[in-house]
Amino acid sequence: MTSMRYIALGLLLSLCLTASAGDTDKYEKWGPTSQGGGGIIVRLGYTIGGTTPIPLPSEIRSINAFQPNGGATIGADVYKMLSRRWGFSVGWHFVYEGFHTSADVKNYKMSLTQEGNTMSGYFTGCDITNVELWGLTMPVLATVRVSPRWNISAGPFFTVFVSESFKGQVYDNKEGVGYLRVDSPVGEKVNIDRSSPATYDFSDNLRNWTAGLEFAFDWKATRHMNVFALLDWSLSDIFEPDFPTVEFKLYPIYATVGLAYRY
Amino acid sequence: MNKALTLPLLCLGAALLTSCFGDEPLNTECDIEAVSIHVDDPVTVLYHEYDTLQTVSSVSDSVGFLARRKAKITTLPLTLKVTEGATPYILTEGGEWQQFQNGSAVDFSEERTQRFKVVSEDKAWSREYKICVRIDRESTEDMLVLSFDFNGNYALSDPSKTVDDKSVYFVWTETDETSVTELFGSEPWKNGNPGYKLSKSSAKPFEYPTIPVIGGGPDSTDCVKMETLDAGPFGKMVNILIASGSLFDGYFDVTNALKDARKATLFGLPFKHKPVNFKVWMKCEMGDTFQDKNGTPVAGVVDEPDAYVVVYRNQDEQGNQVQLNGDDVLSSPYIIGKARLPHHYNADGSDKLSSDPIHGVTKEWQLFDMDVEYTQEPDEEILANNGYNMIVGFSSSWQGAYFEGAIGSKLWIDNIVVTCE
Repeated sequence: MTSMRYIALGLLLSLCLTASAGDTDKYEKWGPTSQGGGGIIVRLGYTIGGTTPIPLPSEIRSINAFQPNGGATIGADVYKMLSRRWGFSVGWHFVYEGFHTSADVKNYKMSLTQEGNTMSGYFTGCDITNVELWGLTMPVLATVRVSPRWNISAGPFFTVFVSESFKGQVYDNKEGVGYLRVDSPVGEKVNIDRSSPATYDFSDNLRNWTAGLEFAFDWKATRHMNVFALLDWSLSDIFEPDFPTVEFKLYPIYATVGLAYRY
Repeated sequence: MNKALTLPLLCLGAALLTSCFGDEPLNTECDIEAVSIHVDDPVTVLYHEYDTLQTVSSVSDSVGFLARRKAKITTLPLTLKVTEGATPYILTEGGEWQQFQNGSAVDFSEERTQRFKVVSEDKAWSREYKICVRIDRESTEDMLVLSFDFNGNYALSDPSKTVDDKSVYFVWTETDETSVTELFGSEPWKNGNPGYKLSKSSAKPFEYPTIPVIGGGPDSTDCVKMETLDAGPFGKMVNILIASGSLFDGYFDVTNALKDARKATLFGLPFKHKPVNFKVWMKCEMGDTFQDKNGTPVAGVVDEPDAYVVVYRNQDEQGNQVQLNGDDVLSSPYIIGKARLPHHYNADGSDKLSSDPIHGVTKEWQLFDMDVEYTQEPDEEILANNGYNMIVGFSSSWQGAYFEGAIGSKLWIDNIVVTCE
């Protein structure tokens, strides 16, 4: 839940600051205001988040653990102003996103296929997921200067992943319950526990791209330095469309907080 | 402008922050997990105190209690443990399903089979079960020589399938001597095939570790072939790399086959006679490379087949059931008699891997004749009261229970004769 707190903090911060905006004389001081004015913003940030179904299906009963796994973003945006308050930007961000979750599930439909063999059925127990994504994100954002020092941008982004991994394990939960009903709820009951967990690796079934909406919040701390928060909300499933194992769509949702240098 | 932008952002944050867990789904399972009957004096009606309670395997749809010959069985209070939220029903004589209340008296007279149905909490699934109390057969002279020739007493696990279908395997449905069928109750021979099905669903019946060979025996009738195979991808997932072929009397608990395969293999069934001699025709071909449980080849070790008869006390000092499993089938302190193919042993009695096996099984059919050696003489009264279990067991890799052996090791067996006193 740590990432959620960061995102909440970022959002609250943004709201507080936007409320105090309004001194029109200072727009000139804090950035180009004329048509064609612009520059480059170089960003370095800490990226946290995860890949989640929306809404959470009822098969997921509780999240026992969520740990962001050392994400980072480094990149640059070229921005142009179209008017005193409006502009746009195009960026190239190298991103590394990773997380670990542990969730309790009930009657979670799964189908594992390996070497032409299939094991499918309904799993009840604990599901561990570890995801790592390395990619290049290209956001195209519209920017509005809501105050002299405060920019909010939003627009589509497209990410190409260069390296992806989606691995995990299933085993028994804290109550010692961990089993698969093979094929249907009346099929063989197969116990799986943590001493010999069933491991899976869906890395080869991931799409090598994602697309969605990016929201950026920039606060000009000094003449050249921004404090920023980005939210990348994917609207495409992380898995290939014909991947049958995970029944619901999983969307990568990541937030980045960091510092930017403004040229 | 500010408000117009911040509202959607707020919603976005709220969506992220909300732990939006839906209502817990209703249970879909509908198992009878355990059955117990109430009798005032279990030991005089059944054989052991623990015989009043039977746990039911997830793949089983029938439950049988074994009563003594002289016991008079009429109606007995019955208790079913079903999946949480599920509802049990009993089929009345009028042919209607009536909700079953635990503790109700059920008519088990004259070995009557009662039918039950369990409906899941979500009402979408149901299973049917049969429960009966069987009266033990009289012990007769012809039970003293048990012979098993494996001719035609096998079938596919799903009779609607063929040998070209996947996810179906051979089961030796019953022994071919009527007297022995009754001695072993209704339990057929067991092997690890149900576990192999989980691990390698693409395998067809003749690609399983334990298969019949039509006309392959020394007398040109059918025999049984066991082979140590690659365990398949889902075995690998839980560190089970090889699956040895096996055949034994007892139970195979498929529910725990991936969790703890040795504990899932339960050897031996109650037996009322003292086995003294074990004869079996065998031939073998051992695989080239002996591997440890990690799949690492072990130099200087040759795989060996195994064949044994074991007699053990099936109840401990506190009256608890003793059922040997893959861990202690040949080493348990409850063992009183044993006949086994010769092997090398360490000073502490444990199995010793070697490059020069002494089991004597070759590529040609041979008759093996072994006496059952007792460390303790069976007690007549305990014997008569189902107090000992007998195991007749075979494996294509003697360390197969520890997932050690050579892929490709094969053992053929036929025409078993166990002679009792």
